[in-house]
Amino acid sequence: MSLYKKCHRWFHQFASPKYFYDISHIISKYAIVVCIICFIAGLYGGLILAPADYQQGDSFRIMYVHVPAAWMALFVYVVMAVAGGIGLIWHIKLAEIVARNSAPIGASFTFLALVSGAIWGKPMWGAYWVWDARLTSFLILFFLYLGYIALQSAFEDRRVAARAGAILALVGIVNIPIIHYSVEWWSTLHQGSIISQIDKPTVHMSMLIPLIFMVLAFKTFYVTSLLIRVRTEILEYESNTSWVKQLLRDYKNVTN
Amino acid sequence: MNEYLNIFFVILRRDLTLAFRNKSEFINPLMFFVIIIILFPLAFGSDSALLKQLTSGIIWISALLATCLSLEAIFRSDFEDGSIEQLTLARYPLTLLVSAKVTAHWLTFGLPLIIVALLTGLVLSVPSQTMLALLITLLLGTPVLSLIGAITVALTIGLRGGMLLSLLILPLYMPVLIFSMLAVQNATVGQSIAAEIYFLSGILVLAITLAPITTAAALRIRLS
Amino acid sequence: MSIFNIKNLQCIRRDNILFQGLNFDLEQGGLLQIDGVNGSGKSSLLQMCVGLIQASEGSINWNGVNIKESRYQFQSDMTYFGHSNGVKAELTARENMKVMHALSGDKSDIDYSSILKQIGLAGLEDVLLSRMSAGQKRRVGLSRIFMTQSKLWLLDEPFNALDKNGKKIIEQLIVKHCTAGGMVIFATHQTMEIDGYPLQHIHLGNET
Repeated sequence: MSLYKKCHRWFHQFASPKYFYDISHIISKYAIVVCIICFIAGLYGGLILAPADYQQGDSFRIMYVHVPAAWMALFVYVVMAVAGGIGLIWHIKLAEIVARNSAPIGASFTFLALVSGAIWGKPMWGAYWVWDARLTSFLILFFLYLGYIALQSAFEDRRVAARAGAILALVGIVNIPIIHYSVEWWSTLHQGSIISQIDKPTVHMSMLIPLIFMVLAFKTFYVTSLLIRVRTEILEYESNTSWVKQLLRDYKNVTN
Repeated sequence: MNEYLNIFFVILRRDLTLAFRNKSEFINPLMFFVIIIILFPLAFGSDSALLKQLTSGIIWISALLATCLSLEAIFRSDFEDGSIEQLTLARYPLTLLVSAKVTAHWLTFGLPLIIVALLTGLVLSVPSQTMLALLITLLLGTPVLSLIGAITVALTIGLRGGMLLSLLILPLYMPVLIFSMLAVQNATVGQSIAAEIYFLSGILVLAITLAPITTAAALRIRLS
Repeated sequence: MSIFNIKNLQCIRRDNILFQGLNFDLEQGGLLQIDGVNGSGKSSLLQMCVGLIQASEGSINWNGVNIKESRYQFQSDMTYFGHSNGVKAELTARENMKVMHALSGDKSDIDYSSILKQIGLAGLEDVLLSRMSAGQKRRVGLSRIFMTQSKLWLLDEPFNALDKNGKKIIEQLIVKHCTAGGMVIFATHQTMEIDGYPLQHIHLGNET
């Protein structure tokens, strides 16, 4: 059997709802454990072990929430668009479910990044909000997420909704770089880049390592919460099939 | 090739005829455009120095809002009377037919809007080099508004509420607005606007290439 | 040899299975009536047959090729007339017919007046459709099947809003088309008077 065929077969097996339902249970179990460990390690390292910044004092510590949230906001959008595209082209139900359920999580990350950024901004620049390029493009990203969610809920048929959402997400992903650069040039023309020193690549190791832990924690948190949502929706979707009915019977027997 | 051009013009003529028979559909957004422009001086007072600074921005924002109102007309009536099914099932690529419809929308909305903007600019005595930049950006920008708008309309047509359309479309319009305003500001202080023009042209070319294909795909999804 | 066939078709709308395991073949000259109660999926089946809705399972083949793979070939061989007329109220009968004719891809010259005469709308060439009655609009919409060379017609409730005379005209046209080797699939509740032409049936829905 050729490698392509093997991959193809594996892919289809993986994308079959029942198989995914079983395997995702195991994945999410491990993911939640990794998440908790990384979260505790990251917070301990970030809030207690890491020294205060000589310029920003303790307020820099909000970075340990802000930076991972911002990364995840972008990452989840890409996942959403790619999964949507896969669902659109190959009609794989699982990809549609993943895309749809990523949206609220991604929107929450974006919101978290915006709020933590605003809280950080107050001591830094003396204002919760400045019309800086990053802030503005993140606000737009937030609206893109909201638009996606609103579009999803406007359709009655879920599969149609998923495909419509995929189109919107793909249009969005073409637009995000354009939006990003346009906003960047727009703001550099208006005002000096106040926050560029925050992006200093030379962060001390004792500050960097907790950050890596926090990024891992956020990522595994995303995986866990996504899988929980996906599993719920698979059950809803497949409620007519024999394996779900069997599952329900088993569950009833156990609880009785 | 000739055959395709022919069908393009059949649809274009059909949509233009429809627009002229149903005048309110294309005059109302233009009236809306003018009314929003008038609102700004009422809100900011008649301080002419301030207004002069704001005028081109006001014109652009009004153009965006008016576009939101006018967009639904591209597909609404076709959706209601089943014509859209016939277009989808025609012998010709839907992308081609959609391009014709979007062209018709630009001719009945974008082009008149530029003329109205020119008149408003003259009335509000916008300096000539600013006016020139404003016109160029509108000329390059309004087709993009129609093209990207068509995708979103195709996705949302017939769904409850026009609010959804505006929510989806306005974030996507921001780059056009930003580059246009950069061009206008540069022109006002006498700098070159070549860079912004190149960017707007680039966005326009990208939109012309990709938007009709995406719109066709979106329509197929909306109909299913 | 069957030219149009459907294999193991399943239709799911809003998470409900409307029908499944549906098979049929249509040969040259085949005439097929789909009936069933409201909501049994008649329109959905027709929309699937033309490729507007995608089947959740099963395949639809035209000349042995799945219609998804040869979309424009299939679309030039078939004419669909749906629930709505697909004509514009702000255009005249002639303008509507010109657009329909252009979209069908047929390049022969067509005398619009004589077609209007055939469907009982003589002299209404330049009347706006907004001035016409529902039945007259329906007739203008149906005029598309006079202006096409396509082999397969799919008609969804073609007799809606038509009077007895209108129904008769369409029935005769359908029989003529089938006798000449064409194929027609249509959905209707009404009984067809087709002078003994062999009629196939598909019944959707649970009631027997």
